[in-house]
Amino acid sequence: MSGDIKDFNKTGAFLIDMTKCTGCRGCQVACKQWNQLKAENTTFFNGEGYQNPPAMSEYTFTRIKFRDYQKNGQNEFAFYKEMCMHCNDPACASVCPVGAFKKTAEGPVIYDTKRCIGCRFCMVACPFGVPKYEWSKAFPLVKKCTGCYSRIKNGHKPACATACPSAITYGPRAEMLKEAERRIAARPDRYLKKIYGKEEAGGTSVIYLTALPFDELGFKPVTKRPLPSYTWQALRLVPGIFLTVGGSLSLLSWFTHRKDRLKKEEEQRTQSRKHSDQNQEKTE
Amino acid sequence: MTAARLIINEIKGYHRFLKFLMVLVGLGALASLVRFIFGLGVTTNLNDTYPWGLWVSFDVVTAVPLAAGAFTLGAITHCFHIKKLEPLVRPAIVTGFLGYSLVSVGLLLDLGQPQRCWHTMVFWNPHSPMFEVSMCIMAYTTVLFLEFLSPVCEKLGYYLPLRVLRTLEMPLVVAAAAISTLHQSSLGTFFLIAVDKLHSLWYNPLLPLLFWISAIFSGLSIIILEATMTHKWLGQEDESELLETLARIIPWVIGVYILVKAYALFFLSEGPFFDRPRMLVLFGIEVLAGVFVPFFMFMQKKVRNNNRLRAIAAGLVIFGLVVNRFNVSMYGMIHEGAPYVPSLLETLVTIGIIAAEILFFVLIAKYFPIFEHHPETVDYSLPDKFRKVEKHGSVAAGA
Ligand code: SF4
Ligand code: SF4
Ligand code: SF4
Repeated sequence: MSGDIKDFNKTGAFLIDMTKCTGCRGCQVACKQWNQLKAENTTFFNGEGYQNPPAMSEYTFTRIKFRDYQKNGQNEFAFYKEMCMHCNDPACASVCPVGAFKKTAEGPVIYDTKRCIGCRFCMVACPFGVPKYEWSKAFPLVKKCTGCYSRIKNGHKPACATACPSAITYGPRAEMLKEAERRIAARPDRYLKKIYGKEEAGGTSVIYLTALPFDELGFKPVTKRPLPSYTWQALRLVPGIFLTVGGSLSLLSWFTHRKDRLKKEEEQRTQSRKHSDQNQEKTE
Repeated sequence: MTAARLIINEIKGYHRFLKFLMVLVGLGALASLVRFIFGLGVTTNLNDTYPWGLWVSFDVVTAVPLAAGAFTLGAITHCFHIKKLEPLVRPAIVTGFLGYSLVSVGLLLDLGQPQRCWHTMVFWNPHSPMFEVSMCIMAYTTVLFLEFLSPVCEKLGYYLPLRVLRTLEMPLVVAAAAISTLHQSSLGTFFLIAVDKLHSLWYNPLLPLLFWISAIFSGLSIIILEATMTHKWLGQEDESELLETLARIIPWVIGVYILVKAYALFFLSEGPFFDRPRMLVLFGIEVLAGVFVPFFMFMQKKVRNNNRLRAIAAGLVIFGLVVNRFNVSMYGMIHEGAPYVPSLLETLVTIGIIAAEILFFVLIAKYFPIFEHHPETVDYSLPDKFRKVEKHGSVAAGA
């Protein structure tokens, strides 16, 4: 959980400027290399775009999505880099029963392989569909972009940000947001006037600039509220409900049972009185 | 045909049914073996888009409210002190205990790392509804087990534990109700995180409350259905008079449910209702056949006093509950394009679990007189002093 981090200005963030992406997929390759992920067997498919593999998976933490469109009568490509958003208040971390996910002070949301029990709630909860599962294994674990935590701890930039020749900048979140605003202000014709990730899911550590509307590129429309707040509004009532239900039922049963006991004792008393009366009669 | 012949024929019939159940349980066990050898990917049709499937939807999300009879009836009988319902409490506890044990089995199969299930007790995360539910299920199974011990001790004539259990009885009933309230509702909290994923016909902030209320009336309906069937086919005692009382309570609870659901739907839901015909149909089936029809049926004295009609109404309630839980946890989460359909092996495991539940219940009901327990023989007032129990505990004194 990110409960202990209050200030997200200093957490590391990716500024990904899709207008500067050339679709070289150097980041995809760098990510596989650094994380030692297997190559995937893919086939050419004639769906939308030319991206491969067809989706993120246990072997693919990041992926460039392609989109054809027409601009001034010319065919153009637009791109979208899919990866974990490293949310400020991550849904994956809040729902995990054993707290296997953690938002680090450095920025990345990391996963503790030794804790996970494999309930896959994180996959259900993540609004961006990021965590993937090792479906082929008998005792599978969750896989997702690590934000290159090990590199960052040692003063390096993430592998994809290092490999990218043009589009990815990495730095403190406040600076990245300022830079994004500066770019939009400087070239209003080039950019859509919106920074994706500034407020999405309560703010993320990956922020995007694009030229095309976000939904056309495959960005998911998500709520602006941090997702954990949706469940917390119910869960915070738990101790209260427990005490109310327990307390009122105890009180109720105390009353009903007392009534019963009094009645029984009354009966007993009259009975024993009768009994002693009879005895007296006998002795007389 | 003489009566003896009839009985023999009937037993023959049972045997075939029991054998059939045993085959189903065996098949389920084999299928779950496949999961441990070849993995979840081969066994199930789950994938990265649908990480939860039949096992979560039925074995956990649906089976837990179906086992809710124990806590509801316990609270009604002991806290509201409607003593005459007492004979129904024991079968409900047996069903509850079986139900929760099998929920645990289903949960363990579904986990990727079942050997680490104890982690929930060590690495606490109170922000997770899953953490809360797993803690509650563990606690509640223990409570049910203790409640289950009471008749066992009675039978074996263990006085001391019986006296302790008698003292614990009321605290256990209250604990059962409080713990159940928490986890029945928290199963609904699971899906509050699925913002923009669960269809707006079901997604609303009152989902936990709705889950809790529907667990109450479904738990009571299960008791009606179960008692009617065990009387008819297992020769257990006829409790129809008590079932009438239960049937009088149910429409009140359903009524509250309808009000809360309508409020949540019209005032708290965001997003479109009518965008997908498939969802509308599922919603219609759930609400009409599973809520309104049994509601109006239970309101009529004619239905409440008729064994067959009463059981049918109870069956409809249960049907509605199953559809509702599947709508929330499966159908409502499926988006257009890539559907999820459970695999054969997945289905076999779930059928095996259902069969095991029925099989164990039938066997217990066959060999133990769980319906014969009558309150006249036992003093259920709060034992204020140990002495009192001894004095009135006819069982303890008589055995
Ligand atoms: S930050 Fe690291 S793990 Fe994440 S996409 Fe980039 S290279 Fe891959
Ligand atoms: S994008 Fe998903 S997996 Fe990544 S931090 Fe946010 S909730 Fe977790
Ligand atoms: S699958 Fe693992 S990481 Fe994900 S919520 Fe469950 S225990 Fe946590």
